[in-house]
Amino acid sequence: MSDILLRIENLRISFGKDDRRVAAVNGVSLEVGSGEVVGLVGESGSGKSLTCRSVIRLLPPGGEMTANRVLFEGVDVQSLDRDALRAHRAHNVGMIFQDPFSCLDPTKRIGEQIAETLRVNVGLDREAAKVQALSLLEDVGISSPERRYLAYPHELSGGMRQRVMIAIAVATKPKLLIADEATTALDVTTQAQILDLIVRLRREIGMSVLLVSHDFGVIAQVCDRVAVMYGGYVVEFGPVADICNRPQHPYTRALLDSIPTIESAGQRIRRDGIPGQPPSLGEIEQGCPFVNRCSYASDACRTLELSMREVGPGHTSACPVTIGSGS
Amino acid sequence: MSDTFTTTSRTTRFRFRIRNWELSLGVAMLGIIVIAGLFAPLLAPYPPNQIDILHSLQAPSFSHLMGTDFVGRDVFSRVLYGVRIDVFVVALITYAGLVIGVIIGTVAGYFGGWLDAIIGRVTDTVVSFPFIVLVLAVVAIVGPGLKGVAIGIVLVGWALYSRLARSEMLAMREQPFMLATRALGYSTPRAIFRHALPNLVRSSLVYSTVDVVVNMLVLAGMSYLGLGQQAPGADLGSIIASGQGYLLTAWWITTIPGTVLVLFGIGVSMIGDGLTRGELSMATV
Repeated sequence: MSDILLRIENLRISFGKDDRRVAAVNGVSLEVGSGEVVGLVGESGSGKSLTCRSVIRLLPPGGEMTANRVLFEGVDVQSLDRDALRAHRAHNVGMIFQDPFSCLDPTKRIGEQIAETLRVNVGLDREAAKVQALSLLEDVGISSPERRYLAYPHELSGGMRQRVMIAIAVATKPKLLIADEATTALDVTTQAQILDLIVRLRREIGMSVLLVSHDFGVIAQVCDRVAVMYGGYVVEFGPVADICNRPQHPYTRALLDSIPTIESAGQRIRRDGIPGQPPSLGEIEQGCPFVNRCSYASDACRTLELSMREVGPGHTSACPVTIGSGS
Repeated sequence: MSDTFTTTSRTTRFRFRIRNWELSLGVAMLGIIVIAGLFAPLLAPYPPNQIDILHSLQAPSFSHLMGTDFVGRDVFSRVLYGVRIDVFVVALITYAGLVIGVIIGTVAGYFGGWLDAIIGRVTDTVVSFPFIVLVLAVVAIVGPGLKGVAIGIVLVGWALYSRLARSEMLAMREQPFMLATRALGYSTPRAIFRHALPNLVRSSLVYSTVDVVVNMLVLAGMSYLGLGQQAPGADLGSIIASGQGYLLTAWWITTIPGTVLVLFGIGVSMIGDGLTRGELSMATV
């Protein structure tokens, strides 16, 4: 990727005061090229959502972020003042959230919610906003937009609501779309449609996408590169095909191994999953966060300084152990 | 019994059908009272303050539907004008209190922190005082008359709405769609007033049906005590007070406006009950 749209360097996010401070994200580095789809995969609590939200500095109350840099188009997001931050949220980044059922204002017609974005953030007048909103509804694949424009959120299905959310998020033609578990709450068919929609819009608008999911299948389907997160760390980052075929980090490998394959359907294969529990916040003092569940772990892992090492072209892993190819 | 409210927009039509005898009866009762007040100048057979000393203390008859009082004023006409002023003042003060309270409570709930603490203590102070005593104190400062009572009730009435709106806002603040307004870069006033407020005003509107009745009784009570509507102006409380000395000989002067007051209260309560209890079926046609 020649053009880097977003570069996060050594992002840390922590909660709590002074000596009771716990880190939720520990030195995450990540980059998204322009026009690229980057996936963030990991289990609950691995810091995926927080990492995303740091891009628009929208952390939950009490969260504090520090980073060497969070560069968006060469500007450090951390240095933005209030107005600049609002403009950044309004124009540069569109965000869709996991729960399509509660992300729309229940008392407003969906068309008006789309038009509101266009009026407030793009500066269109009432008439132009309505025209534009109708064409956006059409763009996101909602049939008979004239009729749907007047619908309230509760009158739509989950998939339709997610389409409306997407219409709102892309209304300003942002440079980056963050989809935070955007398809998790939907059934598989709808999920595939929504993913197709995101990919199509990316092409049409020429935006980059940061796609968060805990489903490797979703990631593999649409992403160019993927970052695997665990316990607040990025443990492996690289081209998605490379990571799926040659996972270098034991966690990635275990994650991929736990996905049922079509060949195994009907057979009595017991998938072991990953033994143990992910570490809770503040549990990791030093060393590798995965050490207690890793089948390759040695004593050295408990004290090691985590750093990314090159394991292939554009492919980095946080594990010093070299695993044989294939899984 | 069924009431059908239909709102039609250009391409969709929503029909709210409420099957509920309480609501129907309440709407009918309140409707008659409000319409009677609204059209008082047309309906009243006599000017409300016209004295006819020769026909004082007459029992209800066809020429005086609710009889006459001790100076011969037509009680029916006075009740109509009394209802007119009372309903208007009560609606005004109740919803003025609602608007003020909801805005203050919403802001307190959204921002939290020291602002919330200060507003919270002020509401606690207002709420913990006996209602009537506070209204009396305001009347003592502003002077007797409906204006004083109205100001007093608003000054006290906003506090409960503020509490209600604040607690709703605390929950609303955590709603994903409120987070979405921030992710979209909307301003805080827009997030609060365009998105949170329409979602939390509902509970306050429901509570206002109780409040209207309470305020009506306080207003009439103050007039009864001579602190509200001043003679010779007509208002349900002052009419009741004027008939007090003739309770045994001319029951109609006190009983009839009293009954109107009771019917108003029952009507409003039934609407509130009907709205909360009735099944609300909504269909997109």
